[in-house]
Amino acid sequence: MTNRLAPPGLYIHVPFCARVCPYCDFAVQTGGPRRRGDFIRLLLREIGLWSRLLRGEGSAPDRSAGQGSHQAVPSWRSEQPFDTIYLGGGTPSSLSPEVLEEILAALHGSLPIAPEVDVTLEANPEDVNTGNLRSWQRLGITTLSLGIQSFDPDALSFLGRSHTPEKAGAALRGALESSFETVSLDLIFALPGQSPMRWEADLRRAIEYGPDHISCYELTVHEGTRFARLKERGELVELAEDDKAELFLLTHRLMAENGYHAYEVSSFARGPNHRSRHNRKYWDHTAYLGFGPSAHSFDGVSRRWWNERRLPAWEAGLQRVPGASSGLGTGASGRFGQSPIAGSEILAPADLVLESLALGLRTTEGVDLERLRDLYGIDVEGENGALVASLRRDDLLVDTSPASLLVPTLRGLAVADALARSFEIPPATAS
Amino acid sequence: MQTIRNFCIIAHIDHGKSTLADRLIQRCGGVADRQFRDQLLDTMELERERGITIKSNTITLTYTAGDGQTYTLNLIDTPGHVDFSHEVRRSLMACEGAVLLVDATQGVEAQTVANVYLALEQDLEILPVINKIDMPAADADRVLEQIDADLGLDPFETLQVSAKEGTGIDELLETLVAKLPPPQGDSGAPLKALIFDAEYNAYRGVVLLVRVFEGTLRPGQMMRLMHNGAEYEVEEVGLVKLEREKQGELSAGAVGYVISGIKAVADIDIGDTITEVSRPAAEPLAGYVEAKPVVFSSIFPVSSDEYEELGKALDKLKLNDAALTFQKDSSSALGFGYRCGFLGMLHLDVVQERLSREWDLSLLLTAPSVEFHVTTADGKEHVVENPAEYPDPAAIEQVKEPYIKGSILMPDRYLGTVMELLLEKRGADTQFHYLAVGRVEVTSELPLTEVLFDFYDRLKTITQGYGSFDYELMDYRATDLVKVDILVNAERVDALAMLVHRDKARARAIHACKQLEKHIPRQNFKIAIQGAIGRDIIARRTVNAYRKDVTAKCYGGDISRKRKLLEKQKEGKKRARAFGNVEVPQEAFLAVLRSDPDDK
Repeated sequence: MTNRLAPPGLYIHVPFCARVCPYCDFAVQTGGPRRRGDFIRLLLREIGLWSRLLRGEGSAPDRSAGQGSHQAVPSWRSEQPFDTIYLGGGTPSSLSPEVLEEILAALHGSLPIAPEVDVTLEANPEDVNTGNLRSWQRLGITTLSLGIQSFDPDALSFLGRSHTPEKAGAALRGALESSFETVSLDLIFALPGQSPMRWEADLRRAIEYGPDHISCYELTVHEGTRFARLKERGELVELAEDDKAELFLLTHRLMAENGYHAYEVSSFARGPNHRSRHNRKYWDHTAYLGFGPSAHSFDGVSRRWWNERRLPAWEAGLQRVPGASSGLGTGASGRFGQSPIAGSEILAPADLVLESLALGLRTTEGVDLERLRDLYGIDVEGENGALVASLRRDDLLVDTSPASLLVPTLRGLAVADALARSFEIPPATAS
Repeated sequence: MQTIRNFCIIAHIDHGKSTLADRLIQRCGGVADRQFRDQLLDTMELERERGITIKSNTITLTYTAGDGQTYTLNLIDTPGHVDFSHEVRRSLMACEGAVLLVDATQGVEAQTVANVYLALEQDLEILPVINKIDMPAADADRVLEQIDADLGLDPFETLQVSAKEGTGIDELLETLVAKLPPPQGDSGAPLKALIFDAEYNAYRGVVLLVRVFEGTLRPGQMMRLMHNGAEYEVEEVGLVKLEREKQGELSAGAVGYVISGIKAVADIDIGDTITEVSRPAAEPLAGYVEAKPVVFSSIFPVSSDEYEELGKALDKLKLNDAALTFQKDSSSALGFGYRCGFLGMLHLDVVQERLSREWDLSLLLTAPSVEFHVTTADGKEHVVENPAEYPDPAAIEQVKEPYIKGSILMPDRYLGTVMELLLEKRGADTQFHYLAVGRVEVTSELPLTEVLFDFYDRLKTITQGYGSFDYELMDYRATDLVKVDILVNAERVDALAMLVHRDKARARAIHACKQLEKHIPRQNFKIAIQGAIGRDIIARRTVNAYRKDVTAKCYGGDISRKRKLLEKQKEGKKRARAFGNVEVPQEAFLAVLRSDPDDK
């Protein structure tokens, strides 16, 4: 739900990776020291621009630039300090501690940051060593999210990861022995041909280390990735829907048995304090501000905008911004003019409702239809009474006492997209 | 009249008829280069794309021959598919000669043979021409042999051209004026003119294309259509060059157009004879055949609010397509639609494609059916083409179905599998004979209904594209017919019902159930799909409830993409029809009508 009063989050996208994984569709690329240096310089510039904008300095968004374009110009409405910083990518752990420090210092120095801020760093096992762990803690990293993906050597090689199971284990142990508030790891399952037994063994190995948080992602073949090309040629055959469902249920059962509470489709935490505070902002329409190529931002009310996806376009956008006096402005590579921003949209009440359903039904918190009606003037409940009743009868939604609160069952979580699609969203009524 | 040559080009699809026509037009200066489009005579987008000529077109060319004489060449562009054999016939009637065009790489096809026989029936002089001699795969000797053996024409009189390269065109034109006879007839006799084509024009009404056999057509005359009796005043006559060219008169032997205030193509009959009211001919020209639809299917809009638009579209198509019939139809499953009659499967395809392409309509079609003759116990005869109107089986005395004589031309290496196919399709009196070394013609008496489903695709696959098929209607024969119903979650879907031979019922029901299973998306409950004859269930498949449908990773803040994907998927749902609470998408309906490539 829109939560203007909730503290917003900050996201930094570091687009560099040592190599591109065959399943990854994020904005990533390889790059040497010079490119990385350019990136950091421009990232700091982007942070500086927003800093001035948030303080009400610099030029207001340039409304004269194009007809109607002022609608698309980003603005920031939240007056709360940011209480999460998420360094994602890409591989932000491949940046040296000194560079990370520079970025964090820029954020702290120019943006309102809450004292109890949660700072997450995504890290590859290869980058985890005693020296780095110590530096990251010193820099105030509170959550370390390890891209382990698997402890199965065959799976790792299929996924194109360069680390070994031993290296992954050592990294995880090292992280757990340090005093991060939360150590999390990512796993990927439902690989072609993967049997329930094999996945269970992989998952059990992860559980044995006792991390605070585990994300288990079903392998998704995204358009434009190498896996997509293999699939097209018939060289990669995805598991059947029923097999995926079986692995999904197995995952949730195993996690529950071992004290990991599922709070979202793919996210499990050993306690509420270990849930991802940052990701939640994406799921409940809290404001977030993103820096770096492809980063998305949301103003906490109705406006979302996104940066140029490719590094050169984002860089060019920032280079064109005239240095001192500027605000952020008017558009994407050409379309918006001088800005790293590629596009934006204003979400209509019906858009916000559809997103709330799609996102809320992915979480064990569910979605409160009464709240949607109060916020957006759209009566989803009235329009979908029969549907909700049948979803409850079919054991896809929990039979909770307040009729307006939709909470997916485990089977419901497994088909959350289909659930979200099945709702008719009536037009907003003047409240 | 001695300097007029009326001719057409007979060719199989893709053998280069349109390209040859273009060369002739260019050579005779019928069109300035800047106006020239390739394959000028095929005007409709669809024709271009599929390489099929749907409406015949005519053009008048002027050619100065080697003898110094200037000739008027009337090229009548015949349509090229078996569905349209009546159109072919009436185009042939307008000619004295025909250029028979055969692809040097493909050889003689069944349909070409059929058209040559039609031309011989009309006593046309036939000029064999081998095209595409520039192609590396050209085998002119083999084709010459086929012209001799398959068609009984003189290989020594055969010309060789490349329409694409323009080689041999001059020789062809010289041969044309030398070999083809001029028209005969008396300009002073009572008027007899054949309507061989008609086209609707939004400004002028119907423009008739005619061949004058006797007498003279002039503006101001009162004319009568001898078969349907209607009378009109002739407003304008002229020649069809690149554009219409007004003339003072059209006299015996001429080919040209007539405009006379006719509102719709449906108001006239192609093949009818025009005469003069004040001095009528004694009898019409021979060979008039009414174009009757033999294949029937109901067309429904996917979205019911497109019903009106569909009606308008059919009205418009009908303006130019007299053979298309339609009347209102309704289905409890699909709501309102139209029951349409077609000359054959190609005609159906063409109409369907034009509706979706030119009118942007999403359509659902019911299984094509033929007209069955049903005798009930009370002695009454019923003509039934719609499963919805099929009488109670208990009251049926006898059912008869239409048979065709089918002819397949192909290399003999496919003989075994083609014979099997014909057997499977209930072919009777199947025979074959060698036309030349390695080349056979197979003939078989087949129920028409067997050709409507799965036949062309299978034949094409079996013969790797080398087999060609042609047919003509024969007679009605007794059959053992049953009505197969399809049920989705125990609900009968009337639009999926079909009338089939008892021996085929199970296979067709299984096919339908399998296709529905494949194309109905999983929903949050199990869906039973059944095929039934009366109360007997003869096929059954199940669509399981969905079990996994959620994106694994939903963060990074790019929620817009996620939402747009959901919206797109929701949009897809709108292209589906709900039966009870089951959504059956358009693809599922269409898939039931097609053979399943995975089955072969």
